[in-house]
Amino acid sequence: MRAIISLFLISVLAWGIATALNEIPFGAAKTKVGEYYIGRGKEQTGASNIVTSVVVNYRGFDTLGEVTVLFVAAIGLGAVLATRRKKEKRDVEPASLVLYTGCRLLFPLILLFGAYIFIHGHLTPGGGFQGGAVVASAFVLVYLGCRGRRISETASKTVESLGGLVFIVVGLVGLAVGGGYFLSNYLPKGELNSLFSAGIIPIIYIAIGFKVGSELAGVIDHLVEESE
Amino acid sequence: MVNPVLLIAVPLGLAFALPLFGLISKRIVKYIPVVAFIFNFALALRLIPDVLKQAIVVEIGGFPPPFGINLVAGPVGVLFSALIALAGLLVAVYALAYITEGPKEKYHMLYLLLLAGATGVVLTGDIFNLFVFFEILCISSYALVAYIGDRAGIESAIKYLIQGAVGSSFLLIGIGLLYGLFGTLNMADLAQQIESASSISVFVPMVLIITGLGVEAAIFPLNAWLPDAHSSAPSSISAILSGIAIEVGLYAVVRVLFTIFGATNMFMFFAFLGVLTLLIGEMCAFAQNNIKRMLAYSSIGQMGLIVFAMAIATSYALTGGLFQLVSHTLGKGLLFLTAGYMIYRSGSMEISAFEGMGKRMPLTSLAFTIGAFSLVGLPPFVGFPSKFLIVRAALAKEEILFTVLIGLVLLGTVIEGAYFFRVVQVLYFKKANGNSERKDAPVAGLIPMVVFVAFILVMGIYPQLVIEVLNSAASELLHRMEYIRSVLG
Repeated sequence: MRAIISLFLISVLAWGIATALNEIPFGAAKTKVGEYYIGRGKEQTGASNIVTSVVVNYRGFDTLGEVTVLFVAAIGLGAVLATRRKKEKRDVEPASLVLYTGCRLLFPLILLFGAYIFIHGHLTPGGGFQGGAVVASAFVLVYLGCRGRRISETASKTVESLGGLVFIVVGLVGLAVGGGYFLSNYLPKGELNSLFSAGIIPIIYIAIGFKVGSELAGVIDHLVEESE
Repeated sequence: MVNPVLLIAVPLGLAFALPLFGLISKRIVKYIPVVAFIFNFALALRLIPDVLKQAIVVEIGGFPPPFGINLVAGPVGVLFSALIALAGLLVAVYALAYITEGPKEKYHMLYLLLLAGATGVVLTGDIFNLFVFFEILCISSYALVAYIGDRAGIESAIKYLIQGAVGSSFLLIGIGLLYGLFGTLNMADLAQQIESASSISVFVPMVLIITGLGVEAAIFPLNAWLPDAHSSAPSSISAILSGIAIEVGLYAVVRVLFTIFGATNMFMFFAFLGVLTLLIGEMCAFAQNNIKRMLAYSSIGQMGLIVFAMAIATSYALTGGLFQLVSHTLGKGLLFLTAGYMIYRSGSMEISAFEGMGKRMPLTSLAFTIGAFSLVGLPPFVGFPSKFLIVRAALAKEEILFTVLIGLVLLGTVIEGAYFFRVVQVLYFKKANGNSERKDAPVAGLIPMVVFVAFILVMGIYPQLVIEVLNSAASELLHRMEYIRSVLG
């Protein structure tokens, strides 16, 4: 009976979405908002990557929210797991020599690559979130290869907090000097396509990169602790 | 002039900075939410005279709508921000003494973020931004429900998480469809263009968005998560979930229905749904022996009443509905806070364990009684003028149907009275067996209770203090063209 009801509800939902999609011109013409971003993005924000100019500048407030969503999820996980620690330690078998050496070799390279992605967020595809995820993947490798090593919880918490604070403070400074707008791009835009361009965008993306990297590394740390 | 964006940015910034304060001293961490909400409450009060004249539209990043994101600090937004800040402040003071175990630093961070998310939802003028803040609100509630870390807490948090996540997905699909249709996410711009599209392609996203938001607003039949979640969370969080989170969910439903879709033809349906939610909530509450579950079901009933009031959709009714929302926040917040210490003292959530509490915890019991009387709608408490306005608005419609519905609402109120009086009777007229030592809640617990009681009494005796704000909030919701004009110029 339950299965029939569920099936019925799902088909109603699918029918509804299908009918609506049928009438919606997805991807047909560029929208008014999209055209504005493409036409004026470079000049208004100084970022040659238009996606970044939308993510960090035009809709920067959303990005602040999304950074917060990830932050909430990471602390929430920490809070839930913190209440159920106190398990006896199991012996961890050390990784093989090949994996161990490989991890030590790759770790700095992955960090470098992650940093490259978030520092160049306003020029090339990628940005703070992607770069941060790459950085965190370096820590996954450490947990796999050099078992027993841990990141310092204080350090990751501090980096996380500072990353978030930089975002807010850069935004608030805009209230004072950027014509009274929160998150307005008040720094000089520089020359298009150069590293030092696009005003506040690279600063925010670097802050996000650090924040996301330390946050995801912290999540992995919590989960590793739980599984031991 | 002060910028309303600070209402969101300051709590967010303090939440980010909280671990850094924690490195300096573990003891100052719990005062940070108090500081944040003193600031927010003062700022919101300071903004009220300005927004009564004209809504403040804040462009984030200096890009004009619909190209950038904008906040709309109108009477509705500022009223809700003030309410969130007030409840947030009082519950933060309560938590100073109440939260003594567990990862306290994380509790305070999640608490700040929950209310920052709620403030974002009520202030934003962009529907995707609303979704983002809504997620902040929901995810921090999931985590806080599980804060105690016992089996019941984790189980109900997961239940809440699953239903909430399905709801959020519906919301997101709905927003995606709207964006596909109109190529804009700005609420005023959407509202302006909504009539230009065919009805089915607007109807489907509307149903998806309302369903998604309805999960958080606890509208029947989307509220199965609520009794478990509200009863297994710490009492301070129950107060916020019942007093703020579901109200904000309901705000979002109302804003979407009234402003974006202008869906006047749906109101009859919502009037029925509201009364149904009310009756089911009150009847389930009547059947409970567990105090927190009873209060949680009573919240469902109250939400039903507010939905009904909103669905009458006259200026009177909206004022009444918003007033009921304020009085529910005050009343239910107070009830959960008092219940928290009564449970702590008696060691049980069973109502029968509260026998003789009137002697053992006289102040706490008195505060509970006042909260209960206010929710039932007895004068001179704030619940009376708010319920009275709703009844008057329903009768002023002069339609048989609304008269019948308001009759059912009053029946719901009678049930509500019955179960609240039963608890009050247990508090005062049953002898305590065993321990009857007199010891009230600690001072940090009593202060917020006294302030809640003061607000309940003052607003109950002088409703004209808030009625002007409520009136202009009601007219902001009713006149969508005004809203569009104030944003798009």
